[in-house]
Amino acid sequence: MRMHDPKILAAAALLALLAGCGGGKQEAGQATAPATDNTAEVEEYYRSKVKVPGALWEQLERGEITQEEIDRRSAAGEFPKFFRYAKPEDLPADLAWEDGMDLPEIGSPEAKKGGTFSFFIDDFPRTLRTAGPDANGSFRPYILDDNAMRFAQRHPNDTSIGPNGFRYFPGIAKEWAVDKENAQVFVRIDPAARWSDGEPITVDDVFFMFYFYQSPHLRDPWYNNWYNRSYEHVTRYDDLTFAIGVPERKPDMASRVLELEPSPAHFYREFGPDYPERYQWRFKPTSGAYMVRDEDIKKGSSITLTRVPDWWASDKKFWRYRYNFGRIRLSVIRDTPKALESFRKGELDWFAITQPDYWYEKLPDSDPLVQGGYVGKTVFYNQLPRPTYGLWMNSSRPLLDNRDVRVGIQYATDWDRVIKEYFRGDYVRMRTTADGYGEFTEPAIQPRGYSVEKALESFARAGFTKRGPDGILVNDKGEKLSFTLTTGYDYLRDVLTILREQAGKAGLEFRLEVLDGTAAWKKVQEKQHDIQLTAFSVSPEMYPRYWETYHSVNAYDRAFLPDGSPNPERKPKPNTNNLQCIADPELDRKIEQYQASEDVEEMRRLAFEMEHIIHDNASFSPGYVFPFYRTGFWRWLKWPEDFNVKISRRSEEYYLSWIDEDLKKEVQEARKAGKTFPPILQVYDQYRDE
Amino acid sequence: MKLNPLTARKLRRFRSLRRGYYSFWLLIVLTGLSLVAELLVNDKAIAVRYEGEWFFPTYADIRLGDVFGLEGEAGSTPVSYRELKKVFEAQGGDNLVIMPPVPFGPYENTAYDGILRATPPDAGRGHYLGTDTTGRDIFARLFYGFRTAILFAAAFTALTYLIGISLGCMMGYFGGLFDLLFQRIIEIWSNIPFLYMVIIIFSVIPGTYSITARIVILLTIMVLFSWTFMTYYMRTETYREKARDYVSAARVLGAGSARVIFRHILPNTISTVVTFIPFTVIAAITYITALDFLGWGLPPPTPSIGELLKQGTANLTTAPWIVSSAFVALVFILTVVTFIGEAIREAFDPRKFTTYK
Repeated sequence: MRMHDPKILAAAALLALLAGCGGGKQEAGQATAPATDNTAEVEEYYRSKVKVPGALWEQLERGEITQEEIDRRSAAGEFPKFFRYAKPEDLPADLAWEDGMDLPEIGSPEAKKGGTFSFFIDDFPRTLRTAGPDANGSFRPYILDDNAMRFAQRHPNDTSIGPNGFRYFPGIAKEWAVDKENAQVFVRIDPAARWSDGEPITVDDVFFMFYFYQSPHLRDPWYNNWYNRSYEHVTRYDDLTFAIGVPERKPDMASRVLELEPSPAHFYREFGPDYPERYQWRFKPTSGAYMVRDEDIKKGSSITLTRVPDWWASDKKFWRYRYNFGRIRLSVIRDTPKALESFRKGELDWFAITQPDYWYEKLPDSDPLVQGGYVGKTVFYNQLPRPTYGLWMNSSRPLLDNRDVRVGIQYATDWDRVIKEYFRGDYVRMRTTADGYGEFTEPAIQPRGYSVEKALESFARAGFTKRGPDGILVNDKGEKLSFTLTTGYDYLRDVLTILREQAGKAGLEFRLEVLDGTAAWKKVQEKQHDIQLTAFSVSPEMYPRYWETYHSVNAYDRAFLPDGSPNPERKPKPNTNNLQCIADPELDRKIEQYQASEDVEEMRRLAFEMEHIIHDNASFSPGYVFPFYRTGFWRWLKWPEDFNVKISRRSEEYYLSWIDEDLKKEVQEARKAGKTFPPILQVYDQYRDE
Repeated sequence: MKLNPLTARKLRRFRSLRRGYYSFWLLIVLTGLSLVAELLVNDKAIAVRYEGEWFFPTYADIRLGDVFGLEGEAGSTPVSYRELKKVFEAQGGDNLVIMPPVPFGPYENTAYDGILRATPPDAGRGHYLGTDTTGRDIFARLFYGFRTAILFAAAFTALTYLIGISLGCMMGYFGGLFDLLFQRIIEIWSNIPFLYMVIIIFSVIPGTYSITARIVILLTIMVLFSWTFMTYYMRTETYREKARDYVSAARVLGAGSARVIFRHILPNTISTVVTFIPFTVIAAITYITALDFLGWGLPPPTPSIGELLKQGTANLTTAPWIVSSAFVALVFILTVVTFIGEAIREAFDPRKFTTYK
């Protein structure tokens, strides 16, 4: 099951940006399109592409200048070149190269390779592309997010913050050097690095990555925007050495470069305006461990990944004990309860049972499968930024523009009951908009708990003193204290009904609206919602983002008049993440300071101050956090001693498990014979907060 | 009212068909009871006597706890009458709360051991059919769901027949171009897939519409796409009747088209109509249940049989009482209506009472 709206995921996840490229096969049906070659076009792009400064982008967005003017100024040579060439001897001599080899190994040396791992997907992938229309589905993690290698990756257990940000272990890169002064990161590609079709990975693929993601042919404006605005230049020193410049010297600037994955230039020779159709079913060669072979695509029913034969990284430190399965077979099962039945029959190797009804009722400890030791159950406490489940109130709407009403809603929203009685006390209350960022999470803020008394007091301050015939408060003008509460998560339908019942006691009416994910997302993006129960999925970044969600430019077009007072004619700005329509000049100032800051200490102080402003504003009612994930798995699926890594979000994200084939036979036979094993019921709380 | 002797004989025949006749009364009683469901299945008390004064909360405005002398948070929130009953009993005075036989509302989440989850039937706690996954009483939700379904079906039947009969009769009576034109329109219209229309329309209407408004919209869509089948029967019947002497006689006497259709032809074709009614009711109940099951029906948290079936199938192994309650209730209703339908069909069968020897 998908926990977060895939689109929200796209908007927020940094890892998602660092995405993918394609592989060198042609499916029979696709071969009819005549082959094309974009070499000349690409070369021309490398020659002419310039870096337009971020300030101009913003002016263009605000309509203060035109695209023509930018084009004219580019042609006049006003802006620096984006693609640059240098000689190996131009490399600065004093670079401090690092390779992260001192970090601890990941995974278990006992891991055995081979076997077929079976799991399910709820829908057949609509494409094998990793970018462009429909690419961001539940299948993409298997070929991109969890599979593709980056230049270097954040160590998932050592989450300390050093002088150059997080600790990185090498992937495609052999070594790298951070040049803080000039805001660039130098990278040397491992000479052994290969695409799954055997081609070496070189700086050509790094250049092409920018061409690919900046191209309108991709039909994915989010990538266009990110790759145009977040990078200053890419400079080639030799076939394997390059530098990438970033606009700001943020504490985590290295991650912007190191977490990129190059795109195989040779595979995308035919990349052009028909990219979405032409590459729909072509698997792009991967740097990672698993590839999709044409014969393993059974459209509509299953898709199987195969471990790359002689994968170049298979003996490298940090990689050698991971990606142990020989094959990964994903069958399409559209219905989660049905998938559970399939798991219980042993057709699937593991199952996510984080939700309380699965953990306590559908696969309880007392289940014969569990008691017989055939199926194990584990709780793993992880530590990473938490998805922001809560009520997002649109403060541009009538009544919700009144802070007293919003505070009242906070007190009338009974998260405590939802957590205690529906989630059975396993989840915990979210405190801020940025829980789980470690030292970047303000420890002093406590969310407002359910209190009818305080809610009524607050509503009374807003003029809602009388109860109508149905018990809902009304004000003197006869307006009812009633709001639409929308969600796109069908599985949270029950949570809404509980919130509604409890709010009714405090004289507040929630009219419930359960939409499908896309429609719900569209609604908040158009700022048409009153209150939405939704969540931004967040990736393990160093510090929370505030500009996207809280800056006034993302709330309204021209939020303020030149004298600083609110613009009476302002309209909510669509397609931004400021779902609360917060426009607060003081918050704006702090966000700008925060964005400009290069100092961890200062950023932390600002983050804490901003959290207090947001808490006072009361337009976000923090919901709940689940500080763990729970897994059910067949006995033959083995795990490292400490089960998983600190920042994992589910058990099969870092591919640490393996299949013990002998044990599999033993378990299957024992089951037939009625022989049992000691039950596996484990709690791994080494990374538990508090 | 004096019945046509023929009709009287049909009714007598209907009464003699025991199975259908009793089913008919059972359905009438059930529907009647469901109309006063608030008095039978509710978290509001039927009557409260507090310091000598009587209150009847069922159909009254919501009262806060302070009316009955409750203090603190209970005083400023709507009264929980089950709690109030306990309070009054503890006080031991003259104060009294009379609760309905099933003291739970269809929207109320009641925790079991402090947890909101599906619990099996437990007469001791008053949950005769258990609770659903958020601790709501299944009997209450079924009962209110039944009311919605049966009223919906009644409205649906009345409206489709009104349109279907009027148009069908007119087509048969006027014939010619009018008939030809409408036949084609109906052919085209009835080929529009109804389910897709529901999905499309419900994806664009805003969720801010009240539940009643949404039910009315759903009803309208269903009626719009369902009236056509009735026209075929009425058209042929009317064609047949039109050629008879009594119609010519009426026209000679100067009766207008409307009078001829509705006063002369319609009563003679009514047996066709009547035999179809129960089956239309069944179709309507099935439709609305199926739509709810698929998630395209009534918005949450409206109680409905389809929604319970959906919950039940998702919790088939862990909470079988949800799906079995909903399934048995649905089958029961449909069977009762089918029995009625069979009996009516037999009673109105012209082969038994034909006047043409």
